[in-house]
Amino acid sequence: MSLARYVVSRILQSIPVLLGVATITFFLTHSIPGNPVKIMLGPSPSAAQAHAIEAKYGLNQPVYVQYGKYLWNLAHLDMGQSIHYQTSVTTKIAQRLPVTLVLLVSAFALALVVAIPLGVLSAQRRNRPTDHVSRVTSLVGVSTPDFWIGLILITAFAFYLGWLPATGLVMPWADPANVEHASDRLGVVVQYLRHVIMPAITLGTLQMAAVTRIERSSMLEVLSQDYVKLARAYGVRERTILRRHAFKNAQLPVITIIGLQLTAALGGAVLTETVFSIHGMGRLIITAVQNQDYPLIMGTTLYFALMFVVGVIITDVSYAYIDPRVSYGEEST
Amino acid sequence: MGIQNPDELNEPNEATGGRAETDVEARVGLSYTFGQLKKDPTAWVGFVIIGTVSVVAVIAFVDQTFLHYWLADHLWVDPVRDTSAPSLLKPPFVSNQGTWNHVLGTDTRGRDVLVRLFYGARIAIEVGFLSTVVGLVGGTAAGAVAGFYGGWIDDVLMRAVETLYAIPFLVLVIAFMTAFGRTLVFAMIGVGIISIPTFARLIRSRVVSVREEGYIEAARAAGVRDRNIILRHVIPNSFAPVLVQATLQIGIAILLVAGLSFLGFGAQPPTPSWGQILSNARNAILVNPWFSFWPGLAILVTVMGFNILGDGLRDALDPRIQN
Repeated sequence: MSLARYVVSRILQSIPVLLGVATITFFLTHSIPGNPVKIMLGPSPSAAQAHAIEAKYGLNQPVYVQYGKYLWNLAHLDMGQSIHYQTSVTTKIAQRLPVTLVLLVSAFALALVVAIPLGVLSAQRRNRPTDHVSRVTSLVGVSTPDFWIGLILITAFAFYLGWLPATGLVMPWADPANVEHASDRLGVVVQYLRHVIMPAITLGTLQMAAVTRIERSSMLEVLSQDYVKLARAYGVRERTILRRHAFKNAQLPVITIIGLQLTAALGGAVLTETVFSIHGMGRLIITAVQNQDYPLIMGTTLYFALMFVVGVIITDVSYAYIDPRVSYGEEST
Repeated sequence: MGIQNPDELNEPNEATGGRAETDVEARVGLSYTFGQLKKDPTAWVGFVIIGTVSVVAVIAFVDQTFLHYWLADHLWVDPVRDTSAPSLLKPPFVSNQGTWNHVLGTDTRGRDVLVRLFYGARIAIEVGFLSTVVGLVGGTAAGAVAGFYGGWIDDVLMRAVETLYAIPFLVLVIAFMTAFGRTLVFAMIGVGIISIPTFARLIRSRVVSVREEGYIEAARAAGVRDRNIILRHVIPNSFAPVLVQATLQIGIAILLVAGLSFLGFGAQPPTPSWGQILSNARNAILVNPWFSFWPGLAILVTVMGFNILGDGLRDALDPRIQN
């Protein structure tokens, strides 16, 4: 099977998963105690008002009818109206999704830039001081609550030193006219970097630590392979072995772990956005839950699952792309 | 199936006795694992951390449940009810305005931070263990049944588990808690449920290979019921990697529940959970930045203890490390 067909089949395979997610979220949201009508109209709405609202959002129909309607609309990419914001759920998510994606990509970029060299170095100098430092760092990294890192960073760099802004996020493609302290494109990018650095460290530390650990053990495994020993016996320089023979082969488990880390990172985004008051998907789902906004809770949860599924497909495909031994298609169990 | 040769029965019966004759089998045994672990100095650090936090947690539990804060009242300050509030948000003793009466300072209501951390340990340990038990039992059951029977049962169970895995942990627990209640109990159950996929996959992959062993076939031939085969033979022989994962999972659960409490889903005030203390500290960060330092440090050290122990267990179980 070709790569293109593999991608298509992976996408088709993820449809039942998303359907399952939609079902889980639908029934979870519908077992929420309390009444969204009361939240919209205050504690004692008149019967007529309540009726009108219930009819408008279909809340007076039996659950299975609501469920069927929800799936039918979902198939038409319609996720309904947000009760709290009075706009369509899709519009609201379209505003917030890029913010979270920018945050995630920045955090992963930072994590990989630090973790890959650190892991390689650690494997290369096994059981020497560099290795010990890197192992302790990654152990602390996987054990630290991410939101706490955010609080410490804000205290140090925003309040005490005043170097960085404590809240918000600037999109790198924002219009310079709408961004404070920026007159041109370069200014906007600088503002983006100043805003993103602390949230990216907050969200990226865990990923960095996890990738460093797997990079180290994967490199150690590859470096003990026979072909590496053979290359050494031929007198190939250690640097060349590392670069040409070991590095690429050691990246496969790393890609797998990045895919698996995505679920932790998406949860971390909710916390990071809370700490830094960033208006992304994470804040959106918290607001939706606080307002008992059924359609918005379902929509955001579904999109969180979608981000995860797409991320996993991307890692699977790049895995297949890098490793020629992976045969596209046949599922191996 | 069926026994052609009576010898086949003897060999597997010995293997099920726990101490197997081959080297590889012996390495999976629990006593062997703990023997290896004892020799590992790093794993001892993990033991000491977990032991210390657990002792603190037990003292806090006894004081809260049976003594009604007698210990806290007489030896220290009450972590929940103390409202005398002489000094709000005092810094720790190292600072100029700090006192030895409140070693780590006080919180927004003038309660002693150290005492609250002390009682928070109880919640962290409780949550870590109980939620892991939920995930362990649920995941082991699902994984063992799926792996043992195979076929459509396997397909249905594993697809369900995959679906659960597709929703980011924190988001799923938030949705779950919104539906059932924003209390610590549901945080615990929720975190337990989301760890089911991890355990289910792990145990299934082991079961699929254990299933083919001779002693399972022998047990079947001898007329042992499926349920007993799974409980007595399949699960015990698949348990070693699960133990490693469970240790790491306790740490993960503590982190997740702290995050949930920080967001307001979890222990409700005035219950002193570490995540909730941190969320409290966040609002006072300008007045007393030290306040947010301690609960995070407590979480970090505790979770690190479980991670160190988990790593030690993994090394002890991996036969390749010994060479």
